[in-house]
Amino acid sequence: MTLINLQQVTKRYINGADCVTALDHLSLSIKEGAFLGVMGPSGSGKSTLLSVLGALTRPTSGKVTIDEIDIYGLATEQQADFRREYLGFIFQSHNLIPYLNALENVMLPLAVSKFSAVEKRRRASAMLERVGLPDRMLHLPQQLSGGEQERVAIARALVNSPPLLLADEPTGSLDTATSQQVMELLAELHRGGQTIVMVTHNRDNLEWFDRTLYLRDGLIEKDTGSSDCGLSQAM
Amino acid sequence: MRLEHIVLHNLRRRKGRAIFLVVGLMIGVATVVTLLSLTDALSMRAQNELENFGANIIITPRSDQLDLNYGGVQLGGVNLVAREIEQASLVNIDDIPNRRNVATIGPKVLGTVEVQGQRVMMMGVDPVAEFKLKRWWSIAGRPVKQGAELLVGDALVKRFGLAMGDTLQLNGQAFTVVGLLAKTGSQDDQLLISPLPAAQAILGKEGKVSMVEIAALCHDCPVDDMVNQLQQVLPGTDVQAVQQVVKTRMHALDQFRLFAWGVAVTVVIIGALLVFVTMMGAISERTREIGIFRAIGYRRRHVLHLVLMEAAIVSVLAGVMGYLAGVLATLVTLPLLDGGKAIWHWNPTLALTAVAAALIVGLMAALQPALRASRLEPSEALRAL
Repeated sequence: MTLINLQQVTKRYINGADCVTALDHLSLSIKEGAFLGVMGPSGSGKSTLLSVLGALTRPTSGKVTIDEIDIYGLATEQQADFRREYLGFIFQSHNLIPYLNALENVMLPLAVSKFSAVEKRRRASAMLERVGLPDRMLHLPQQLSGGEQERVAIARALVNSPPLLLADEPTGSLDTATSQQVMELLAELHRGGQTIVMVTHNRDNLEWFDRTLYLRDGLIEKDTGSSDCGLSQAM
Repeated sequence: MRLEHIVLHNLRRRKGRAIFLVVGLMIGVATVVTLLSLTDALSMRAQNELENFGANIIITPRSDQLDLNYGGVQLGGVNLVAREIEQASLVNIDDIPNRRNVATIGPKVLGTVEVQGQRVMMMGVDPVAEFKLKRWWSIAGRPVKQGAELLVGDALVKRFGLAMGDTLQLNGQAFTVVGLLAKTGSQDDQLLISPLPAAQAILGKEGKVSMVEIAALCHDCPVDDMVNQLQQVLPGTDVQAVQQVVKTRMHALDQFRLFAWGVAVTVVIIGALLVFVTMMGAISERTREIGIFRAIGYRRRHVLHLVLMEAAIVSVLAGVMGYLAGVLATLVTLPLLDGGKAIWHWNPTLALTAVAAALIVGLMAALQPALRASRLEPSEALRAL
């Protein structure tokens, strides 16, 4: 079943007199449960694609639907609700809130939910246990290693049980061994049915993806899963 | 975990900025509270003085003659015969609408008597009312009470060599000196003062009074209205308000109050600017953090809530501390002003207003930074994406 559908999505940035096309009439479908890797050189449009999928950057033209919801047809506040309910973000530099401990960082998306305090704590604790940090809950980010911080970020992204996980270079700042651990964790989530779209520069990560998209100049240069994932690119 | 936890954690983490904001606003609130408390205390003191000032309304018989007078009582230039007020008519004062503002009514009868071949002025008074009106009188001996008793003015004591217990024959009646009035520097030094009935009898003015002094002032008494009301119930008299000294004092206090409010407004504006600039800086500092909040599904109003709640906590804290500091400063300053006679009074309205004003100023100053934060596009805030 198709979870994500992009139709003729173009994103242009205007910087003074310059106009940069980050995504150029991109059409793409991604099935539910896919682990899609997005690769490409700097400026190829990887991060813009992730941002567009995350209801963070409105495309210049085209349509983006996730679970058949036209996400850019939603009002601003509804987009926020959509992000909270449908999406989990893992950022390149973890982006944990430095003054909150691991448990509180994981509870962050729940702070604006209607769950009781006990339920919020239960869910966040369970998620930290799932990512292997049951004994680091009360540690501040600076007291955690890079890999542990990444795990906290993953736990935070998953605490709302979102259908789609978006990860931007989650292993970019980690050493090889820690990267391996993080990728194993993501793969485990994938095996559990989690749909993941992950931007990476690291070719070592290719083995984990069941589909890889290569972007260049806002266009799809190569798609390893085009036949069964409904990929198409506008000409 | 609620939004409040995030706010409190953030304040704890950025203690320096929080303390700077609290102290800045606190100084502003304290300054305003101090100035307003001082103004209040001095006003209250002035009001008390006003009430102790003595007569501030004088009722005299209507007369066109200008010669010999005491306190506006016209005695006539040639025959020294003054027109009088019927004492019985004074009960009409009870009928004026502002009767409750009348504190003391001091009727007097005036006339001249002969002492050792010289004519001197005699004044008959209602002792209780008179000594209430003339709180500044200093008496050796005791005040007159009733019967043929005399209180003698300083000038007469010296002129006739009078002493306590002396007896004076006035128009054939013996009066005993029971008190000597210390020098006042006024016409009182020239007087023989006796109880009203005795003076009326000896002066042949039974049932008559020459003038009436009324103490009616309180800070916001409608004295001018009272003058008109008294004029209506006491026809044939002149009713005059005497309050220049107090008016001058109150005018000075009003000027001080204006100055205090001027400073207060300036300080409040500076406080608001302090909050505004600090919060703007904080928002810039937290741009990425706000981007994270927005990316994980916080609505704009959630971000607005976070920033405004932080401002509210800081402002209320500054308001409470500022009020307490202001009270302390008032207590320290007050003894140095007005000879230490003014007293600080607990004013719950000022306390609540100080905290509420700090909160309102803090929230208003933080509103623009909060709106700016809430309008940040998450993708722009999160450079990583």
